[in-house]
Amino acid sequence: MRVTESKAYNSNFSLKTDIPVVSVRSVSKRFPGAIALDNVNFDILEGEVHALLGENGAGKSTLVKILYGIYSPDKGEIYVMGRRVRINSPKDAIKYGIVMVSQIPQIIDRLTVAENIILGLEKYGLTSRVSEVREFIKVKSKEVGIAVDPDIEVWKLSYTQKQLVEILRALLIGAKVLLLDEAITFLPLIEKRKFYKFIRNFADKGGSVVLITHKIYEAMDIADRITVLRLGRVVGTVRRDEVTPDDIRRMMFAEKSAQITYERLPTSKPREVTALEIRDLWVMGDYGVHAVKGVNLTVRAGEVVGIAGIAGNGQKELIQAVIGLRKVEKGSIRLYSEDVTNKGVTKIRSKGVGYIPDQPARFGVSLDNSIEENLAMLPVVTKRLIKWSAVRELARKLINEFNILTPSPKTPVKLLSGGNIMKVLVSRELFIAKRLLVAYNPTRALDEVTAIMVRRIIKEKAIKEGVGVLMASEDLDEIFQIADTIAVINSGKIVGSFPGDKADRDEIEKLMVM
Amino acid sequence: MRIVLVKRIRPLPLGGVLIPLFSIIIGVLISTVILYVIVGASPIVTLSCVASSLISPEIILTFLFLTILGVALLVAFSGSIWNIGAEGQLWLGTAAAAYVALFTSLPQAPMVAKIVMVLLAMAFGGAWAAVAGVLKAYLSIDEVPVTLIMNYIAYYIINYLVRGPWLGKETWGYIRTDMIPDQVKFTLIPGSTTITYEVLVLTILTIALTYFMLKYTSLGLRIRVLGSNPDVLKAAGVNVRVLIIVALAISGAIAGAMGAAQLAGYLHRISYPIESHTANYGYTAILVAWLSMLDIRAVPIAAYIVSALYQAGISMQIAGVSGASATYVFIGAVLLTFTVLRVFSEYSIKIVRG
Repeated sequence: MRVTESKAYNSNFSLKTDIPVVSVRSVSKRFPGAIALDNVNFDILEGEVHALLGENGAGKSTLVKILYGIYSPDKGEIYVMGRRVRINSPKDAIKYGIVMVSQIPQIIDRLTVAENIILGLEKYGLTSRVSEVREFIKVKSKEVGIAVDPDIEVWKLSYTQKQLVEILRALLIGAKVLLLDEAITFLPLIEKRKFYKFIRNFADKGGSVVLITHKIYEAMDIADRITVLRLGRVVGTVRRDEVTPDDIRRMMFAEKSAQITYERLPTSKPREVTALEIRDLWVMGDYGVHAVKGVNLTVRAGEVVGIAGIAGNGQKELIQAVIGLRKVEKGSIRLYSEDVTNKGVTKIRSKGVGYIPDQPARFGVSLDNSIEENLAMLPVVTKRLIKWSAVRELARKLINEFNILTPSPKTPVKLLSGGNIMKVLVSRELFIAKRLLVAYNPTRALDEVTAIMVRRIIKEKAIKEGVGVLMASEDLDEIFQIADTIAVINSGKIVGSFPGDKADRDEIEKLMVM
Repeated sequence: MRIVLVKRIRPLPLGGVLIPLFSIIIGVLISTVILYVIVGASPIVTLSCVASSLISPEIILTFLFLTILGVALLVAFSGSIWNIGAEGQLWLGTAAAAYVALFTSLPQAPMVAKIVMVLLAMAFGGAWAAVAGVLKAYLSIDEVPVTLIMNYIAYYIINYLVRGPWLGKETWGYIRTDMIPDQVKFTLIPGSTTITYEVLVLTILTIALTYFMLKYTSLGLRIRVLGSNPDVLKAAGVNVRVLIIVALAISGAIAGAMGAAQLAGYLHRISYPIESHTANYGYTAILVAWLSMLDIRAVPIAAYIVSALYQAGISMQIAGVSGASATYVFIGAVLLTFTVLRVFSEYSIKIVRG
């Protein structure tokens, strides 16, 4: 576990008796068939980093969306600096200095950084020129410690840089309270540290940060106080230095917290059959250069091969090529000895291949459709005619097995929480994966209890059913827990391969950043 | 005090019924005012024309045709494929049916001939729409301009045929084809001069089969998913290109069937030039599909409303209070009101004090 080894981000923060900057009182919000928030009280103090923790569907996002004016509460009050306010839109929220940054960058790809930032600035109207703002941006960005070229087009930026621009923009429009809704959860650890530095910096200067996350170590790394939500209720608010990760786990999951473990799952004994054989694979990335450069990999039936690496080293392209979504320039992919190179997704999927993609809302599920429909749309689930009774039975089975919180199998998926949407996808793909599972960050949006359950199920499928698993993950804990073979990817090449039970963590981390 | 719009978690219950209903009431009232101010039409005359049209038997044929076409467009629209070309697709269907009726020996077996007329019309209408589908699927060319332009190509192809090789022998100077043989004309139901058994059957079949397709086949489900997220279908292993082409082809085929019905059930011949003889059902049906809010059960309701307004405009002209364009005042006002009212289905209005 890598919980709170870094004391560098601690502050001298002490509870002041001042009026909270933002105060939420007895707020309730009900969605059809479910209570999202039940009588929630929540205070944000000046100069604090306050983590809001909870398992999938606990109500974290609902609460910050109420603070940011996206939802309106059914009941309850919000106070800013002791004065009662109504926040009906993000515009109102910004007026009170409350700004949200979400996990998906909202900036426009075609525009430059400066152009994007101007869009949000009230004091620069329709007639102001970009050149006037550039200086302002340069000065301000130096002040907050974010180095970014204002003239670069956004599509050229990495995900980390985009999130930095989002935060810069939030600060420039005058944020006093920053709501980070899983905004840094998906960043690689090294990049995350950069953010910690200036979250702390911002708080030291009197700003307040609400860090919404389902990752305990993230909260333990940086927060001054932690509020835990469970099933829409506040379990408690604690000071970080008074608790251990295990205390927090018990608050988040109650009796279920006993299921959490980071011990290695049993190593499987792979069969003699080769499930997936990748030979000298070359795949193009999005910007016209090779992202995968001559990769060789073998996955035997019943074996879990974990690809460790920092985001953006070719994992995405490799995975997409294997599933048939990206063209193979050179080399070959064989599935149980059959050549499937550039044979297309339909063909590859029909061979019993499950796929958990990196962007679940785009490539994994259709948000407007129900759980049932998200199952029935797959060619491997339905042929020509849909037998809804059979689909419903399958949906019920997956809902129970994975404890998906949903009013019914007919509810549009977009009404579920992020983690529950991920469960819909993961459960479906595990069901489909009869011979091979290809996955990228399969547990990223899931809370610890669910993530560990998913890993167990993946492992069980490998050991009992002989399914081959190729899984790329940016979470090394995950790789170490589940992989029989660990392959390290760096700049599109496999730079090392180790048996999972004997691999040395330091050596792998070194290869990842080399 | 301020008024704010709050997005609903779920669309308004009964919105599918209430919103079109209010749109008509408000739209008709607005039209009454416009017609009074501009041409001085007495509101009493206007409203009585609308009221009598709602119960007029004259509207039944238009209602049936618009229902079929509304369903045709609903298929494409469900997949976010904006087929603006029902007009061309239906006329191509009419031409295909006319070919069978006039230039083959099939009419000697009337039952066979009628079925072949409809099937060939569907094949032509479908193929015509599929051209736009292929362009969209393989070259990412927007289907809106393509389907729209192809309407005019269809008109001019038929104009050419009617003036040239298909010109009739007994036309008394008119440029038009001969009448189709009596035995392939659809059978009028007793007491009506326009409604035929075949058109009734066709309408019911269209609704039933399309409902079944959208609800109980993987094809229909995938067309609906296509409307919200094509990427997920690709990753699921669905051939999205083929799906786009098939969706447009089905849409065009249903429009083509209506084209055959228009020939065999009502027109009985094709007259030159098409653009001044067409009732523009293909365009009016876009309104029907929109008013239904893409719910197939609401298509007949929407078609009924639109056909009544259509008729109201004609009654106004007969009554001598305004031109035929009153029809478009009604339809325009209703569509505009509907567009505004639809917001209430997705959003609720809250008044904020302080």
